[in-house]
Amino acid sequence: MTTVAEAVATARATVERLTKAKRLHALLTPATELRKSLLQQAQAAHPSGVLYGMPVVVKDNICTLDFTTTCGSKILAGWRAPYDATAVARLRAAGALIAGKSNCDEFAMGSSTEHSAYGRSVHPLDKTRVPGGSSGGSAALVAAGVVPAALGSETGGSVRQPASFCGIVGIKPTYGRVSRYGLVAFGSSLDQIGVFGRSVHDAGRVLSVISGRDPRDATCEERDALRLPTVPESLNGFVIGIPKEYFPSDLDPGVRRACERSIRLLKDLGAAVREVSLPHTAHAVPAYYIVAPAEASSNLARYDGVRYGPRAEDAGDVRSLYRNTRGEGFGPEVRRRILVGTYVLSSGYYDAYYRKAQQARALIAQDFRNAFDRGVDLLFTPTTPTTAFKAGEKLADPVAMYLSDIFVCTANLAGLPAMSLPIGRVKGLPVGGQFIGQAFLEDEMLEAAYALERVVPATEEA
Amino acid sequence: MSVSREEVLRIAQLAELHVEEEQLPMLVEQMSRILDYVAQLSQLPAGEMVKPFLAGPDATGFHADEVRPAPLARSPAEMAPAFKDGYFLVPKLGQFGSVDDVPEEE
Repeated sequence: MTTVAEAVATARATVERLTKAKRLHALLTPATELRKSLLQQAQAAHPSGVLYGMPVVVKDNICTLDFTTTCGSKILAGWRAPYDATAVARLRAAGALIAGKSNCDEFAMGSSTEHSAYGRSVHPLDKTRVPGGSSGGSAALVAAGVVPAALGSETGGSVRQPASFCGIVGIKPTYGRVSRYGLVAFGSSLDQIGVFGRSVHDAGRVLSVISGRDPRDATCEERDALRLPTVPESLNGFVIGIPKEYFPSDLDPGVRRACERSIRLLKDLGAAVREVSLPHTAHAVPAYYIVAPAEASSNLARYDGVRYGPRAEDAGDVRSLYRNTRGEGFGPEVRRRILVGTYVLSSGYYDAYYRKAQQARALIAQDFRNAFDRGVDLLFTPTTPTTAFKAGEKLADPVAMYLSDIFVCTANLAGLPAMSLPIGRVKGLPVGGQFIGQAFLEDEMLEAAYALERVVPATEEA
Repeated sequence: MSVSREEVLRIAQLAELHVEEEQLPMLVEQMSRILDYVAQLSQLPAGEMVKPFLAGPDATGFHADEVRPAPLARSPAEMAPAFKDGYFLVPKLGQFGSVDDVPEEE
């Protein structure tokens, strides 16, 4: 695409597709506002940008100057950010069109989008199922072919899990690869902006654009933007580790079959495959559900009805204002996590919970270092233990919901890059395979994914 | 149950979060379920403390200490529920800081 007329035509077609995809309840931006903005963006976009004319949907916890940024929460209803997130600014500079804000679990806390204050999103292939979460709206729109790419965010697998459920590519970069400036904070030591694409190349292109140093984020590494690798002829020389802890006896048999087929294909491509052990994997979910709520309880203290969003009516004093605004504004999952986070940090419980979680986190990170030190380049695992689950199935039991993150939250705890790509179907529902790479070696991970993507029958039953 | 009704109320006060009376039974049950689950970390051997892990740069980068204009497209007045003459408006401080309403531990 090279002309403004083509970009405008793309913008119009995108609005039409987004309007038709209303059944997914994946976009929070009203159609009229979206149409006006997209046409203006298409007129203004720079034609020399590498993403010129590409519509990209942005998760609603990433700040954008146009459209509201509500984080799927009533406590930020109607809030408009005063700046673009660095990732969004870089997309615009590359000529991309910001195609609205996508639905998500409130403040990115959830694995199904059922915790959005604006209603749940729907799986594109089965309306009774969830698209995953928390970035489920972005995933559903890419999977339905509405947009070629979208931004999501990860604190504990919130890009890879919905990518797996919806049958698309989802990448979580190394912590520090992409600026967090403008990403609404949830768990600051875990949060990263990630990308969705219909293909490894689409997702990789977007990641390449948004990555690189940013003086506005002190946790963003002093590194150049990611350079995309070329598609390899083979995986000769690659050593891929298969961690046995990610293949438990109760793993869904269809997911197991799809992974085993992919492992055979990786061998066929020339990779050396060997079993490895990550012995502290079982501690990942409990450690994550201490560290993340602890950080969230601090980060979400800023929502008090004073500086942003709506406030509770008729508060007699400032303390009632805080409590009532937060009590009315936060949904049940966010309330639970704030309370758990406050509890584990409170006097008398810190050592029993938070310190233990930090210990587990360090051991999990050490497990990965040990595997990589023994010559393994990448790890390959299932992304999720099952395919997309039914809406409502896990709502009553928060721990059951948390366990759907069991294979994804380890990479967040260890700060490593990881990605999911579709590797087959079970009873018509997509299965994702996960690569976990070494810090800042996303290029190796993408090379392996390019190679596997070319040969894996991603839409066939496993 | 790992936590009692009174503990949940106390934690909610620490978190400045109003909890409705009818929400309490479920909150007690679910918080207990979560805390019971994460308590499995107590199996990690005491004393096996490894160096805490934190992702990200080894050292925080510093910038020159100079005033720069904030690149905000919207002013705080546009974002705040109540704002006047450069100040955020809040109700009277009232009993802020009082400990009278914090329930005694059983």
